[in-house]
Amino acid sequence: MDETVAEYIRRTILKIPRDEIKTVLQKWHFLSETQLETINFHQIKENISQDVVQLCEENSAGIKQAAVLDIIYNHIYPDKRVWSVYQMNKTGEETEPFDVTDFKKKFKRQLRSALKNVTITFREYEDNAIWIRIAWGTPYTKPNQYKTSYVVYHSQTPYVFVSASVLRSNLPLLCQALVVASNYHDIREMELRSHSLNSLKDIVFKRYSQNFQTYRPRQLQESNVAPTNVDIRIISENRNEKERIQRLSREVFGDGIQPKLEFAQYKLETMFRSDPRMDVLNKKEPFRCLVKFSSPHLLESLKSLAPAGMADAPLSPLLTCIPQKARNYFKIREKKDLFPESFVNP
Amino acid sequence: GLFAHLAALEARAHEAAVKREEKEQQEERLARLRARVQELRLQRDELRAKVDLQHKVQLGKGGVVSDPAQPSARAVLEWKIGSVKRMLQVFYLTGISGKLTRQGVCFCISTAYEGTYLDSYYLDLLTKAEVQIQRHSVPAFIPLEQIAKKYLQTDVRRFLSVLSDHLNAYVGRRYQADQLQEHFSDLIKGTLQRNSLCNLLVFDYNVSSESDAFPYSARLVYGDLCRSLPTEVVVSTT
Repeated sequence: MDETVAEYIRRTILKIPRDEIKTVLQKWHFLSETQLETINFHQIKENISQDVVQLCEENSAGIKQAAVLDIIYNHIYPDKRVWSVYQMNKTGEETEPFDVTDFKKKFKRQLRSALKNVTITFREYEDNAIWIRIAWGTPYTKPNQYKTSYVVYHSQTPYVFVSASVLRSNLPLLCQALVVASNYHDIREMELRSHSLNSLKDIVFKRYSQNFQTYRPRQLQESNVAPTNVDIRIISENRNEKERIQRLSREVFGDGIQPKLEFAQYKLETMFRSDPRMDVLNKKEPFRCLVKFSSPHLLESLKSLAPAGMADAPLSPLLTCIPQKARNYFKIREKKDLFPESFVNP
Repeated sequence: GLFAHLAALEARAHEAAVKREEKEQQEERLARLRARVQELRLQRDELRAKVDLQHKVQLGKGGVVSDPAQPSARAVLEWKIGSVKRMLQVFYLTGISGKLTRQGVCFCISTAYEGTYLDSYYLDLLTKAEVQIQRHSVPAFIPLEQIAKKYLQTDVRRFLSVLSDHLNAYVGRRYQADQLQEHFSDLIKGTLQRNSLCNLLVFDYNVSSESDAFPYSARLVYGDLCRSLPTEVVVSTT
């Protein structure tokens, strides 16, 4: 077995939390159950990885199998990477139904015709997601297994989720291969980025809970209205206001958990508004400013701002439009009248 | 041999398809009639309640003074709530229902396949100037934009009808594929290979669960996105 392959497998195993190594190896299906039985998964990770490499040596693992292990690792722990979303466009209608074998063939052929030295690995999952792992080389060097990009594509949708590597120069090649393989015309990057791949999917596939007003009979959650204080001497003075805020929150954010984003960034190119007598900024140039909201779970924290009393309800539409507009990077410019509007500008 | 087997399969499939069409038409008719029955029942209840109310008022005037206004008002209110709920249920059962909103209309398309109710999808339409879709919960692989471009401005009813056809056909195909996977897992090798729209199914299978081999390979193409039956089937030996 190649030294580089052994080292790559060893390093991948070390990234996995110790209690989960066995599950990952079982999903890999490369080592048999009897082989896995021989490993002591309670020793330190260094030793576990050495044992695994030993067994891989016995099975003559090659770069292909190591790449599959890497895809499996990234599929189980996708939140370790930052994902961006790309949107594809096409003008005509579907002629042939999407065939995944066809897609893979076209993708490989297109990418390899532009750059021969790449390792391409595919893996399909039950939710119609196709995972692609690409290890990039250069026209003169072999693929570097540590310089990888990952692509997740759900068939027959115009969205592609990409976790690119350091080599931004390879992105156009990747985009071209995707467009050709999926029978679309062009592709552009959306202003939507996050660590949580599933949340990005929820946003563009409209899987998050939107509150639609319909006549569909639904159970209303009575839990919030239940009396929390039994002591009748305590009167809630602001009950009406609290209920108004709850109602507005629910209308805007819906009932379920919000998709998980870590930040929202607003690039302001608006005029500074001050009292004309104070005469700040004579020049009347736009005041350039970048506002960034960060949070472990941005949308949930925005949802709880008004009920917690930290902001007035309703919240600014600039904050609440994030899932619907499917973007968390905004450029705000001056409109002709005095109200700064968000200009959707890629 | 193989040809006889294929011919038999073809004949069977044809029969099954014809039967299914008939059954579908019958059920559609049945559903329509049922909805009509509900309507008429509601009307009848309305009239009955009115008659009862009249009686109660008359009794109250002539009989014991026991505050008849209070209980009958409450009874009427309860009955009204009940009848509204039943009406809403009827709306839901018909498959397309809508509610006027501040800025337009919100439609709900409830899908079903052969009597099993499946997912519901929503569309918030703005009707100020031209009709626009403000937001929706339609999956990304349904060609919503194309359908909207064709029909949304000119004929909203047609738009909803075509979209409902697409959605019902999609959930129908998906439901059939799931059922096939579930009920025949011992005859199929592994899992079915499909795509997001479930309009291409490829799998290897056997006709008896006794042997371990999967000698046949099937490829089902559903060329019409508005139908839940395949347009092309290719069976071959592996």
